[in-house]
Amino acid sequence: MIRLDRVSKTYTRAGGGEPVRALSEISADIADGAFVTIVGPSGCGKSTLLYIVGGFVPASGGAVLVEGKPIAGPGPDRGPVFQEFALFPWKTVRQNIRFGLAEQNVPRAEADRRVDELLDLVHLRQYAALYPKELSGGMKQRVAIARTLAYRPRTLLMDEPFGALDAHTRAKLQDELLQIWERERKTVLFITHGVDEAVYLSDRILVMSAAPGAIKADIAVDLPRPRRREELLRHPRYQELVIEIGRMMDTTA
Amino acid sequence: MILRALRSCYSVLLLLAAWELFARSGMVPRTLLPPVSLVLQRTAIALATDTFVADLATTLFRLLAGLALAVGLGIALGVISAQTRAGRAIFEPLVRVLGPLPKIALFPVLLLTLGFDNTPRIVLVLIDAIFPVMLAAHYAARAVDEKLIWSARAAGTSPTGCVLRVILPAAMPQILTGIRVAAVIACVVVFLSEMVQPGDGLGDQMIRAARAFRSVDMFVPIVVISGLGFILDTLLALVRRRALGWAG
Repeated sequence: MIRLDRVSKTYTRAGGGEPVRALSEISADIADGAFVTIVGPSGCGKSTLLYIVGGFVPASGGAVLVEGKPIAGPGPDRGPVFQEFALFPWKTVRQNIRFGLAEQNVPRAEADRRVDELLDLVHLRQYAALYPKELSGGMKQRVAIARTLAYRPRTLLMDEPFGALDAHTRAKLQDELLQIWERERKTVLFITHGVDEAVYLSDRILVMSAAPGAIKADIAVDLPRPRRREELLRHPRYQELVIEIGRMMDTTA
Repeated sequence: MILRALRSCYSVLLLLAAWELFARSGMVPRTLLPPVSLVLQRTAIALATDTFVADLATTLFRLLAGLALAVGLGIALGVISAQTRAGRAIFEPLVRVLGPLPKIALFPVLLLTLGFDNTPRIVLVLIDAIFPVMLAAHYAARAVDEKLIWSARAAGTSPTGCVLRVILPAAMPQILTGIRVAAVIACVVVFLSEMVQPGDGLGDQMIRAARAFRSVDMFVPIVVISGLGFILDTLLALVRRRALGWAG
């Protein structure tokens, strides 16, 4: 379990002046295997919160506890996926996916097997030898997801991962992510400003308000799984949730 | 193949043609500017002469040794200084003060402390050519997308591992551009060092020809050092195409 215990973040401005409070005492428990999404208006600090959980950015106050222990930086138990993909441009698809395995000295044969498995999982087997600049946005994000899955993190930290994709590709990747999640049952902490995406994917949605960022509502998404897009879009409860959360977002922005 | 090579440097051929016409026009005395056709003929002869080739080898050795040191130290200093706030605070003002300094002014000191042989000239090339490499490495290392570093840190890479396996390769395209600038500077500086304190090398050849008013011979080392620079840059461009194709 991941526990956020009164996490806050304050930025001091470079030119002096009043420090900016970005996050104000955020507390939440993320259960193992849950798909939890944080939605909020842009600038509410939701990405910052994710970076703090990742250990990439230090909190100004409070703590992030993984299995009861405060985190001391990034670790392979928490694998990030970023909106900008952040692939290593000098590595091929295969080498990118292999990166974490090489860093952890996984034996060659085993790493090869794992990479092949992941290439199949994200449908990129025939693109294995290409460089990131030769791939479409959707393919890049598939590579990024596979690269993170490779070292088997218990939690995926996804920072608006489909935000840079067109609507069609986004829907496709959402479905692929759900399939992967249903199979591997990882904990997912997902950031988005798309309410429909949040409802479609999540078990639970934390709605954030801005300036300073705080959790305004904690909503359980009581929709059946496995989810099928067409059924879900017609589901009255889905529509209710999208409207309700959308309204909250309007009043927090 | 040959046609393509010619087309890729036809501006150089135009320059040589202009030189030839200008020298033959009678507007300048031939003793000051001999036609390029004569210079190239003499260059061909020189390249078949043992003493000239020995001087060429001496200059080439100093050039490559100084450049190699500048590349190695420049990358190391530039990238390492970019890693910490203190490093950045020390690096920037220091480079801004030392960069514009004419290093050749230090040459007499180098000669007196390091002897009159190869070492002071290699050091002079080093302290002149290191700046473009160091600057490129430093600013490229600072500009590496933090999310690349985070992705590696989350995968279990140590901070040192990140410098070697993420920051360095990510910064390589800009570093190579810095190296190309450094190679040009190295050609200029090694030649200059041999002109200021002759003894051997291409610069020495040139000075001795100039003092004896052998104007065709004077231009031979100039043509050769420029040819060396051209070959060096072509090799570096090749490295870029082969190793850094990913950068597009």
